[in-house]
Amino acid sequence: MIEFLMSFWQTYNTLFYTVLVHGMLALSIYITLACGQLSLGNAAFMGIGAYTAALFTMKLNVPFGIALLAGGMLPALIALIIGAPTLRLSGVYLAMATLGFGEVVRVAFLNMSITGGSVGLNGVPPKTELWHLFAAMGVLIYFFLKLKNSRFGRALEAIREDEVAAAVMGIKTTWFKVWAFAIGAFIAGLAGGLNAHFTYFLSPREYGFDFAVDILTFAILGGTGTFWGPLIGSTILTILPEMLRFIGSYRLALNGLILVLVVIYLPNGIITVKKKD
Amino acid sequence: MFLQQFVNALALGSVYALFALGFTLIFGVLEVITLAHGAVFMIGAFAGLTVVTKFNVSPITAILVGMMVSGMLGWLIDLVAVRPLRKRKFHHLAPMIATIGCATIIINVAQGIFGAEVYRFPFDFMPAMSYNFWAIQLTLLQIIIVGVALSLMMMIIFLLNRTKWGKAVRAVAESPRTAALLGIPVERVFQITAFAASALGGAAGVLTGINFNAIHAFMGGPIMHRGIAVIILGGMGDIRGAVLGGLILGFAEIMSVAYLSSDFRDAISFGLLFVILLIRPAGIFGSNLERKG
Amino acid sequence: MKLLIKITVFVAFILSLVITAQAAEIKIGIAEALTGPVAKYGVPIKNGFTLAAEEINATGGIKGNKIILIVEDEQAKKEEAINVFKKFIFQDKVLAIFGPTLSNSAFASDPFANAQKTVVFGTSNTAEGITAIGPYVFRNSVAEADILPIVTKVATKKLGLKKVAIIYGNDDSMTKSSYEIFLRAINAEKLEVVDTETFAKGDLDFSAQLTKIKSLNPDAVFCAALVEEASNVILQARKLGLSDKVKFIGGNGFNSAKLIEIAGKAAEGSISGSPWFLDDPSKKNQAFVKSYTKKYGMAPDQFAAQSYDALYIMAEGIKAIKLSGNLEKDRTALRDALAKVKNFKGVGGTFSFNESRDAEQKGRVLSIKNGKFAIFAE
Repeated sequence: MIEFLMSFWQTYNTLFYTVLVHGMLALSIYITLACGQLSLGNAAFMGIGAYTAALFTMKLNVPFGIALLAGGMLPALIALIIGAPTLRLSGVYLAMATLGFGEVVRVAFLNMSITGGSVGLNGVPPKTELWHLFAAMGVLIYFFLKLKNSRFGRALEAIREDEVAAAVMGIKTTWFKVWAFAIGAFIAGLAGGLNAHFTYFLSPREYGFDFAVDILTFAILGGTGTFWGPLIGSTILTILPEMLRFIGSYRLALNGLILVLVVIYLPNGIITVKKKD
Repeated sequence: MFLQQFVNALALGSVYALFALGFTLIFGVLEVITLAHGAVFMIGAFAGLTVVTKFNVSPITAILVGMMVSGMLGWLIDLVAVRPLRKRKFHHLAPMIATIGCATIIINVAQGIFGAEVYRFPFDFMPAMSYNFWAIQLTLLQIIIVGVALSLMMMIIFLLNRTKWGKAVRAVAESPRTAALLGIPVERVFQITAFAASALGGAAGVLTGINFNAIHAFMGGPIMHRGIAVIILGGMGDIRGAVLGGLILGFAEIMSVAYLSSDFRDAISFGLLFVILLIRPAGIFGSNLERKG
Repeated sequence: MKLLIKITVFVAFILSLVITAQAAEIKIGIAEALTGPVAKYGVPIKNGFTLAAEEINATGGIKGNKIILIVEDEQAKKEEAINVFKKFIFQDKVLAIFGPTLSNSAFASDPFANAQKTVVFGTSNTAEGITAIGPYVFRNSVAEADILPIVTKVATKKLGLKKVAIIYGNDDSMTKSSYEIFLRAINAEKLEVVDTETFAKGDLDFSAQLTKIKSLNPDAVFCAALVEEASNVILQARKLGLSDKVKFIGGNGFNSAKLIEIAGKAAEGSISGSPWFLDDPSKKNQAFVKSYTKKYGMAPDQFAAQSYDALYIMAEGIKAIKLSGNLEKDRTALRDALAKVKNFKGVGGTFSFNESRDAEQKGRVLSIKNGKFAIFAE
């Protein structure tokens, strides 16, 4: 039994790491969704964080913690800068503008020499330990639990329910939206930094359109009423393809079918919250 | 050289516009960003290719078959994945996620049937004529593509503006509830729109397949990214916007390669999208800001 | 008494099953991209392995031991590749691993195999630094760094090139590194580069780049692209009126029957370099091409040829060791034996591992004549 568990853990520990990283990414998009903004820039923010953290450990040889912090701060800083003009947009237009931003970031990675261009960045030292991920996730869960009843959290909720009404009530909507955007970018960057240090390798293609949509799918599938939803969604969508491995060549089709069925039968996500009237 | 690049841009822009046309139609009427449109486009190309290799039919028949098959597929996607969500209150992105699931299924099955490799239409399928005007090289194909794309666009615009069906569609696009009160069979309009829009996607697929000789299970991906950019650029759900947006993207891509650098083509095109959205937050033809988000 | 006989027979039967099962299995993991856009390389690679394994098993296996291939899809994603590698090493307990398809995934997954002292053998990883990951990493992928300079030199001389244009895919590590090798070779030959153009994976329209290239009148166009883009680049160049005299010179991506199938007559005269080519008249290659085409309904490409050879190379290594049943010991023994493989005769000619466990294989300069690959110059 112990031997079985050992081999099971050895086989699937990276998958478990990935589940936690995807969970963080799902939370990073949740915070912008919490104020009704749909940002598809989180894959790019993750990329910026991953490259920043990896370059800090590889070139500057700084402690891992500092590298991770830098990997979170830079995306947050960029989010603050582009946030104000971008967040004038709403709905799909914001989604597309952030997608355009993601494309610009990808091309930048491709053409910079420090990022290794299309060849990528090889030899990122494996520094991420399980407890790092647990600690980060723990802090995030604590943050989101506290957020719910904080002034900040209530402001976000008010903006989500009705932005105009919120503004009329005196909530500085842009200020809150930009900060939510920046916090999301920070979380995504942190997730990127952690991911980079257990997969040895980074390349620009990992942070493109498809992954941005994947992150969104984590959140929507799980449900965006509470932050537990995105966590559940990301866990299921990360583990499902591995569990379906025995199917063989049509496992992706089955994966898609399950996605369709879940959405049809649980259109508000797996975790639904009853709204108080 | 400028004239040649102009022609190149026109041909590329027409393909983008044709693809975006169906895309934006579905959004305008059904209010769904259907991320399965790329897969529908790919199936159209394969349907056309299959009838050509098996029955040796003419290009027109191939396009019609591609449109038929894609249209049916689009109708089916609507029936299976979008319609069940229409009736209930749901997160407004839920249908989009459902179409992602559909796209995954379609692409995976297509790969199962056709394999992962690239196909092309037979060489003698279309005469490889090219014409030389001044310094411009024009191929028969380019002319056909631009012609077919333009006439399909005109047809859609005509249908929408001048027929009873078009009126019904516009009424539904405005407000399904009011349309229903007026006695318009809303559900039928939804289904017909899904069919017609997907058929346009199929036509784009066959034409792309004939012109660019790269038919494979994943061909829908790159064009879908661009299609999304195009319909946002033009204004979501706006037919003129899709056409103009497609042409703008075609010109942006070609001209950035011609006069700047091909390294930064995608950054320039998407950067342009970013900037246009900052100036006109709802796209070129978009009038009002969406409140719901 | 009857019962006793029955039991004896039954026990003997079970025992025989157990014994044959024990003697008969050499498990090898195949991690390739079998779904998604990269599957067009992953699938032929898998086919090459499968064909070779069937042939080896049909002729009695390796010293009577049958090869069992365990095939998993890694989708060309680095996390998937890591997951598959770990499944192979810890759950399936394979002797060695082939794959993954892309160098990008290899950089992520190979360190795990190396840390677990398990041989990982890449057949399509061309990026620099793959075998530097560790002593358990091998590959027989074409060493473009050795071959492309020869191609450039021969083409320059035979075609009398002076000024050239370059077009390459800049978002793909394979084509990007071919480009860099070509550029070094072009500079070494002191050719003038009149224009350098790029495109992205999945692009269909190259008319803008080609119009620019055409206007600058190069003597030849160097094209570092994978086959589907390469075919369209060539086709569209001819449609835009680029003269037949301006030849296309390419890397790995050119060496595929698909190039001829898709570009047709436009591909005539295109030049590339490789140890293996489809129409190589050698007996071994013709037999391979014939059985591959029969089994899969299409001609093999370079990727299939390399994986086919790779399994035979692996078999050479396994032949040289004595399987003890202790997996750790066997894996290490295999590494040492494999590193010693020299002068193996495969469909791609004579093959050896050099001291960095990379391919040492003679490349040949090829050109397309009458719809077939032929030797352009030795």
